[in-house]
Amino acid sequence: MTIDSLREYLTVLEAHDDLSRIDESVSWNLEASAITMLANERDARIPLFERTEAARLVGDPYRGSGSRPWNRIALGLDLPRDLSRYEFYEAVIDRLQNPIPPTSVDAADAPVKERTVTGADVDLLRFPWPYIHAGDGGRYSNLHTLVAPDPDSEWVDWSYHRAMVHDGETASVLLLAGEQTPNLYYYKYERRGEPMPVAIVVGAEPAVEYTSVMWIPTDRSEAEFAGGLKGEPVELVECETTDLRVPANAELVIEGEILPDARRDEGPFGDYFGYMHGPRRSMPVLEVSAITHRENPIIPFCVEGSGVGYAENSTSSMEAGCVGPDATLGLRTAGFDVECCVPWTSTPRTVYVIATDRSEPGYLHELANFIFTTWGMLHVDFFVFVDADVEPTDSRAVVEALALHADPDADFHQFGVETMPKVPLNIYQTPSEKGDIQTGTSKAKTAKTYIDATRSEPAPDRPPELERRARETLRAAGVDVNVEDALLGDRPPRDEPTGGWRR
Amino acid sequence: MSGTGLRSHLDRLRERGDLVAIDDRVHWDEEAAAIAAIAAREGASALAFEHTPGRVRFVAGAFGGPDQLAARDREPWDRIGDALTAGEDPATVPPSHEYGDLLELLAGERTESAESVDGEPAATPDPTLDLHALGLPTLSANTRPVVSLGVLAVDLGPESGTTWVPVRGGVRGSSRLRLVVPRAFRERLTAAAEEDGNKVDGSEESGAKSGGREPGTPTDPPAVSLLLGVSAPVLVAALQGWIGDRVRTDVPELAAGIAPTATARVDGRLVPRDAEVRIDGRLRMAAPGGGELTVTGSTPDPASTTTTTDGRRAAWEAACETATVVLDVDRIATREDPIVAVSPLGAPLSDDTQLVSLVEAARLYRRVNGYWGVSPVRWVRLPPEGGLGMCLVASEILYAGFEWQLANTLFSFSRLFDKVLIVDESSDPTDLAKALDDMWVKAHPANDWAFSEPHAPSATATRYRRDGETGSRLHIAATWDPRWDEEYIAPRVTFEQSFPENVRQSVAERWDEFDLGRE
Repeated sequence: MTIDSLREYLTVLEAHDDLSRIDESVSWNLEASAITMLANERDARIPLFERTEAARLVGDPYRGSGSRPWNRIALGLDLPRDLSRYEFYEAVIDRLQNPIPPTSVDAADAPVKERTVTGADVDLLRFPWPYIHAGDGGRYSNLHTLVAPDPDSEWVDWSYHRAMVHDGETASVLLLAGEQTPNLYYYKYERRGEPMPVAIVVGAEPAVEYTSVMWIPTDRSEAEFAGGLKGEPVELVECETTDLRVPANAELVIEGEILPDARRDEGPFGDYFGYMHGPRRSMPVLEVSAITHRENPIIPFCVEGSGVGYAENSTSSMEAGCVGPDATLGLRTAGFDVECCVPWTSTPRTVYVIATDRSEPGYLHELANFIFTTWGMLHVDFFVFVDADVEPTDSRAVVEALALHADPDADFHQFGVETMPKVPLNIYQTPSEKGDIQTGTSKAKTAKTYIDATRSEPAPDRPPELERRARETLRAAGVDVNVEDALLGDRPPRDEPTGGWRR
Repeated sequence: MSGTGLRSHLDRLRERGDLVAIDDRVHWDEEAAAIAAIAAREGASALAFEHTPGRVRFVAGAFGGPDQLAARDREPWDRIGDALTAGEDPATVPPSHEYGDLLELLAGERTESAESVDGEPAATPDPTLDLHALGLPTLSANTRPVVSLGVLAVDLGPESGTTWVPVRGGVRGSSRLRLVVPRAFRERLTAAAEEDGNKVDGSEESGAKSGGREPGTPTDPPAVSLLLGVSAPVLVAALQGWIGDRVRTDVPELAAGIAPTATARVDGRLVPRDAEVRIDGRLRMAAPGGGELTVTGSTPDPASTTTTTDGRRAAWEAACETATVVLDVDRIATREDPIVAVSPLGAPLSDDTQLVSLVEAARLYRRVNGYWGVSPVRWVRLPPEGGLGMCLVASEILYAGFEWQLANTLFSFSRLFDKVLIVDESSDPTDLAKALDDMWVKAHPANDWAFSEPHAPSATATRYRRDGETGSRLHIAATWDPRWDEEYIAPRVTFEQSFPENVRQSVAERWDEFDLGRE
């Protein structure tokens, strides 16, 4: 069974006793996010708020469990939620290598067209966009897919940029130059004095949501990769006021244009670092031309900043469950011999761990350089390389590698000092260093570092038979240890990446 | 004093559901150690091996705990905390332990008289036993049975009295053990003998009583007891006495200062009365044949350890210089159905690593807070997860540049690590994940990651530069710059800080109604 919509996904969660419907009245004004943050901290069920105003809210629907952050991402792809990290990554990588083109449906057959509002009737404030943290600059839509076209080709980018609602018709959108959609805006549309047509797809089906956080190569169809992930074509429908096509099963779509040479306040906002990012900045303005939605739509949101430390949220789990496999495939396709690339489990986005058999200094430099100049340019500051037999999602093992095998004298490699671009969200920058410049990046530059925490000597080996027997004894005694996946040696050799994937 | 012995500790763990019985028959030869190592790594409960071929049963993880990089029901130090705070009434042991309380307890280095002897030792001699019959575990194939968590009791003379010393060793035949001890201990023994006008060479032939011996002639090898299956206060006090940069010999008094510790006398020396196994014998300072025994720095000499433990050493050996000695066994005494705490040496999160982590952190906490006339440091951690190669410190930053001063003070007090992470004083010692998160997001990758000049001594817990080659040290300041204006300081996103009180209260009151479950 494929998962065709957010609400179908939520039904699956409910069937797994992973979702609670909250029938009591809950306010969008901090209350829904407070409940969600507590649920995140407590590894509790996903809260679906049935009674807000004019729509429903669901808090961090893609948040995984603390021990297996990808488990609900897996449910969204109709994969078993108890897959090991290795099994899950290989399954997603396999699907990404088999893209499936989307199909088109008429508006009459598109659930997202059940209600259509255009022109003067458009009113963003009819919907319960949550006010997420006390101190935020406003109410946000922050778990959605931004659809934006390249003005010079057929390519359409799907990405993930939060929007702060200003009034019934406008919002400011966080666009940081260096990423694909912001680059389209700043260096094509705005330079030409043209508005960028966009659609914000709220409550898309899981495969679409997952694809929008991945770094899909320029010129490639995001919809095809979403279809690959899903295992069936994604159905698209034409927008009312632009030429864009959007997922037909979405809960709600905001159509409009991001205007050239116009800025509105954006932020402060409790950000993925786990801190309130500030001060308020100026960001491009979205002017809304239409809103289409299902009956009684469900608006997902993420309590950003709550996915650090032990807790997960949608952002941190999608980093582990979507960006990780995507990055792993990208590195393998680029010719790098990596076991996998995963985010540091308690820190979304800033630091990644790469397990590899290769530890030659030149090799690691090239690997880090490749990422720092592509998808990791803005948000990733650190890479930690560990041996291929170290499970990168095992934070204990990675901390051990870092502490015991990374020599401050030889294994910490800074890519220049104050030479590299940076997002203004970082809390280690002063407001003056962050600046407030036209393209959303910081005034100040930064450094990036990779750390070679691979061993200089092979690890002492325990005979596999002894390892297995020991684990079986523990299990017989009631100790929860895995037997089957205990040994990396059990894994089959990897196939070379195939299909249409090329960066 | 029923609360302080190993058995009482295990009873408490069992009551808490934190001790799992391994009822399958498990061989002491590498199998038990493999099981213990996996259990430690996976954060499992302590394990009681109920069926092993030898006289003793083992318990692994009695002083261990889960890693702190995931949310857990218990903290890594809770089992040690249980064992240290048991007192006379086990019912008063709290369900969990504040890390700061344990630091204060150990940093206090309080002493109590250990002279209140409590009758006969619980272990009674069994002439039928030899070392092999004990059935101590080996760590891997083709290695010797190992002593991993024990102390050596030695009388240092009328002035110093008895001291207890951490040991690690291996069985060498049915009546001989080769032991690694702190080098300072060996030197102390040598000096004590020389003060008496005798020379300690420990030749194989020495066996007669020393009475009437001419000054300058070889003295008798000192009589000692090796105690296994002892309580946490005994193990901790031995570490407090002998590792680090200052030696103290009043270890029984330190143990009594931590928790009531029943003692008894054996041939004039104090021993923990509740020890499960006591191996009495004589200690030789030299190898059979009079050859030199190995004396190493805290960087291990593989040649001295390979045949016993496959190169694996106890964690405390990285914290002091060591020497090897030989114990010739005269008799072995055990309690009925003895049970001995063992540690899977070299495995992540092993008991010996957890113990040293806490003792060394408390020592550093005491040192840095007694150094500048003020006490800015809230806590120090040497996470066992990092194998003691990294130190975390939460401190007030007194002035610009204090981070550098603090890190380098820690480096000068301990050789174990060459990486110091400084976090804000408000950081929670129970949330290692968040402290490490600050390392990545709060410290500027260029400005706040500071490497020393490249001629610092190598660290002893790490796995590189084992030949002692010098190199850089690293400290990371994940703290707010004291020069920053308040407006620059980003508030943390937390339930407490991100929502007003009325919202928090409403959510807390209605939480059960939401049926979100799973805490």
